[in-house]
Amino acid sequence: MVNTLTIGGGFVMIPLLQKEFVEKYHWLTNQEFLDAIAVGQVTPGPLTVMNAFIGYKLSGIVGSILAMICTYLPSLVITTIVVRNYYIYKESVFVNASFKGIKPAVVGLLLSVALLLAKTALVDYITAGIAVSGFLLLVSTRIDPTFVIIGAGILGAFFL
Amino acid sequence: MRFPMNTSRNISLKNIFLVFLKIGTFAFGGVYSMLTFFEKELVEKHKWVTHEEFIESVALGQMTPGPPIINTGICIGYKLKKIKGALVTILGQVFTGTLIAIILAIFYLKTRDNVLLESILKGIGAAVVGLLLSIIYKMARGTIKDYKAVLFSMASFIALAIFKLNPIAIILFAGFAGFLVFGRKSK
Repeated sequence: MVNTLTIGGGFVMIPLLQKEFVEKYHWLTNQEFLDAIAVGQVTPGPLTVMNAFIGYKLSGIVGSILAMICTYLPSLVITTIVVRNYYIYKESVFVNASFKGIKPAVVGLLLSVALLLAKTALVDYITAGIAVSGFLLLVSTRIDPTFVIIGAGILGAFFL
Repeated sequence: MRFPMNTSRNISLKNIFLVFLKIGTFAFGGVYSMLTFFEKELVEKHKWVTHEEFIESVALGQMTPGPPIINTGICIGYKLKKIKGALVTILGQVFTGTLIAIILAIFYLKTRDNVLLESILKGIGAAVVGLLLSIIYKMARGTIKDYKAVLFSMASFIALAIFKLNPIAIILFAGFAGFLVFGRKSK
């Protein structure tokens, strides 16, 4: 359970996790993976909390604790090293240029996974409608994603 | 030169933990709400770091691998109490969320065959797709500024969606290619 290279935001890890857990090891289905993202989003704290959820599903309390350690250990080590050499790092042409390449690449990766998950989640007009209106709400207003997810759950209870 | 340290002041690990526990517990909805919280608690209330130090920590958190908000916490924790401080900020930030996630996981596994829950989850799954798309939209607006960036994201999309390459390899390659493409120009 290693997911080290989540550069530039918690969402970067989604393509990595999807690939590892769903496609490679078949530990989760796409639907279960979507549920995990939702849990990560409605719980307080960073999205990475979803790793605890996945860990628990796989092997109980031990699994979730292990998942949390594996998630944060690389961050702790690397960030600490970086802080100690802060100014060298900040000025580094190598780091800055690399990030310019990585950031747009991540957008492409995320898009690919979103489409894959959409195939699982959007089965009829209602689910498609929920996805579209959720997207529009989040893009055009400053609404907290937590409310969108809870709202979608309520709609689902009535209509699906 | 090193990152400026202010270890001289007396701040206990317990206090750091409690403040970050508070941040982790009440900041719903991801990075942006957390940042406002951070700023209020650390700069205005406790005066552990200055506004400039805070901004620098945030920038650093975004430049390092791992969730940015956690890394920002690590920076601040490290400045206050070295490695122990950094560790304590992580513990504080993720404690509540992890606990709730585990409780939800237990509940989820016990009731997953329930018909009502199934339809709730269907609705939520659809919303998560919308949420992901909105994140992609916002990220694209922030990062894709020229045709080179468009090429980068298209290439990685094709690499993952069609050729099923390893995402880690794609990210590493994009970093290397970024160095080649943008490295010379930025001098």
